[in-house]
Amino acid sequence: MNLFASKDDLVHWLDLLLHERIVIAPVQIQGLTLFQPISKPEEVALDFDNTALAPKEWLLPPTETLFSVHKKNGETELVPATVERDTVIFGVRPCDAKGIALMDKPFLQEPGDALYWEHRARTALVGVACSQARSECFCSSMGTAPNDPSNVDILLTEVEDGYIVQVVTEKGEGLLLKDFVEYKEALPTPPKPQAVPTEGITAVIRKLFDNPYWERLADRCLHCNICAYVCPTCYCFDVRDYPDKGNVERVRSWDSCQSSGFSHTAGGYDPRGTKGARLRQRFSHKLLYFPEQFQDIACVGCGRCIKACPVNIDIREVISDLQRLEVKSGS
Amino acid sequence: MTFSGWRLKVGLENPFVPYLATLKTSTHLTPDTKLLSVELRDPEIRASFDYKPGQFALLSAFGEGEAPFGIVSLPQQGDNLEFAVRRLGTVTRALHELESGDTLGVRGPFGNFFPLGNYVGRHLLIIGGGIGMAPLRPVINWILQQRDNYGDLLIINGARTPQDLVFQAEFQAWMESPRTKLELTVDRGDESWKGRVALIPDALKELAPSPDNALAIICGPPIMIRYTLAVLRNSGFKDTQIVTTLEAKMKCGLGKCARCNLGDKYVCQDGPVFTLEQISQFLEQP
Repeated sequence: MNLFASKDDLVHWLDLLLHERIVIAPVQIQGLTLFQPISKPEEVALDFDNTALAPKEWLLPPTETLFSVHKKNGETELVPATVERDTVIFGVRPCDAKGIALMDKPFLQEPGDALYWEHRARTALVGVACSQARSECFCSSMGTAPNDPSNVDILLTEVEDGYIVQVVTEKGEGLLLKDFVEYKEALPTPPKPQAVPTEGITAVIRKLFDNPYWERLADRCLHCNICAYVCPTCYCFDVRDYPDKGNVERVRSWDSCQSSGFSHTAGGYDPRGTKGARLRQRFSHKLLYFPEQFQDIACVGCGRCIKACPVNIDIREVISDLQRLEVKSGS
Repeated sequence: MTFSGWRLKVGLENPFVPYLATLKTSTHLTPDTKLLSVELRDPEIRASFDYKPGQFALLSAFGEGEAPFGIVSLPQQGDNLEFAVRRLGTVTRALHELESGDTLGVRGPFGNFFPLGNYVGRHLLIIGGGIGMAPLRPVINWILQQRDNYGDLLIINGARTPQDLVFQAEFQAWMESPRTKLELTVDRGDESWKGRVALIPDALKELAPSPDNALAIICGPPIMIRYTLAVLRNSGFKDTQIVTTLEAKMKCGLGKCARCNLGDKYVCQDGPVFTLEQISQFLEQP
C-alpha cells in the first residue's frame, strides 16, 4: 500500500525524525547540494537533481578512526571504534542507493567489516525517485532505475503538492513516526535516462585488456582522482596511523587506484607503473573484477565522474569504444 | 538483519584490530635486516595461532602503521612468531627501533601457503634473492625437519654483497643436512669473499639443476625473478614446476582495500603463493 505525504506532512515527519536520530539530507552550501546533517526540516533542499557527492561518505567516511591505541600506565589498550547513534539519510537517489548496495558486497563479505556494518545497521535510507533524467544519467543501463525502490527503506516520489511514500523494508516501517493517508492512484511514469551498451562488457574488457586503447585514453588523464572521490561505488582505502598526545588513531581514508603510489611496494616496485595500467584498473575493477566477484557492475550510472572529470574521460564513451573495438577485432 | 540479501551476525569483530604482542628479541641478520621474535600476549590466541610456510601477517608499529611480512618461523619451533624485516620505509624503521619488551600488533595469519605435502618425493630447488629468502626460510626448515620425505635439495641464495645474505647463522645447519647443497652467490664480493660472484640467473645457468621430478621455489626482487624464470624455462622447467610468492602493497589483508590485486586475483587472499602456470594466466602480470 502506498501512502501520501503533503509537503507539510513531510516537514512534520522530518521534525519527528530529528528528535530520535541524526538526519542527513541534501543541503545547499555555496551553490553545491551536499548531504549534511540538518537541525531543522527547512534546511532540506529536496528540489535538487543530484548531490555533488554521493551519500557513501556517511557510511564509509572520507577519514574514519578504525580503532584507538590508548596507553595507560605502560599498558597498551586497543579500543575499536563504534557507531553511537542512529541515522537516516533522507533524499537518496536510486542510483546512489544502488551504490550503497554495491559497497555492501565487499564490506559485508566475510570477514565482515564491523564498523561499516554498524554504520549500515544504524542507518536507514529514505530515497527520492527522480522526476527528470539529467544529460549524464544512465542508471537504467546499470541495473537500477529512476524509480527503483529496491535499495532504500522508504521511497518518496514527488507528485503535485506532495510525495507518494512507498515503504519498502521493515526498517522503513520503523521510520513512520506519523500517520499518512493512503495514496490510491498509480505511480507516475519515470523519466527515461539514456542507454549505454553494457551488454557483454565484462567479456569485452577481458579480451581488450592488453589493447593500446588504455595508454591512449590515459594520455590526457591528470590523475587528479576526482572520479574516485565523487563515485558512489569507489571504495578503495588507505590505512594510516595518526599519533595524538601519546595515543594513536588508526585511520582509514578514501584512496584511489589512480594515484601513482597506490600499488608501489616498499622495495620500489610497482606492478601498475604506467598511467594506462592505472586507468585500465579503474575501468576493469568496475566492469570486470567486481562483476566476476559479485555479479554486478560497480557503476550505477549517476554520471558524477563524467561531470567532474577535467579532461572529459567519460565512462559511457569508454564502454562504447570498447564495444566498437571488440567488433573491429572481429570476434 | 539483511541488507540487499546479506544476512550477517550482529556484533562482528573489527577485523582491523590486531592482536597485541610483545617483542621478545630483535637481532640483526644483515646491516639493514632484523629478525624479530614476537610473542602474542593472549595465551589462548597464542595457542590457536596456526600457520603454514608461505603465510604472512601484518605487523603494527603503533604510531607509524602496519605492513605485511612473511612469517619465517615454523609453528613446531615454539609459540613465538619470527619475522625478517628489512628497513625500507617508515613502518619497517619503527619496527627496527622497537626494543625487547615493547608492544606491537599482529594480524593474521593471512593468505595461502606452499603446499609442501604435495611436494613429497620431489627434488627441490629453492632460489632466494636478498630479503626474498625470508618466506623461503620456513620452507627450507620444514624440508630439513622432514628430510626423508623429499628428494635432493639445492638452495641458491644470492644477495648484493656477502653481508646482505640474510640467514647466515643457519647456513651451517643447512649445508650439513643430508642430500642438501647450499650455493651462495653475490653481485659484488669483498676482500674476504671467496665464493661465487654472479647474478642468480647466471649462477643458476652454471649449476644447471635437472628439471626431472623437480620443483623450483623462487622469491626475490621482480627483476631477479624475471631473469631466473627465463633460465628455468630454458633448462626444461615447466610452468607447473615453478612456484613463487608475490609481494604486493596491501592495507587490509582481507580482500577489501582493493590494493594488492593483479587483474582479478587478490594477492592477500588468492596468494601470495602461486605457480608460474597460475601467474601466466593472470590478466595483469606482476
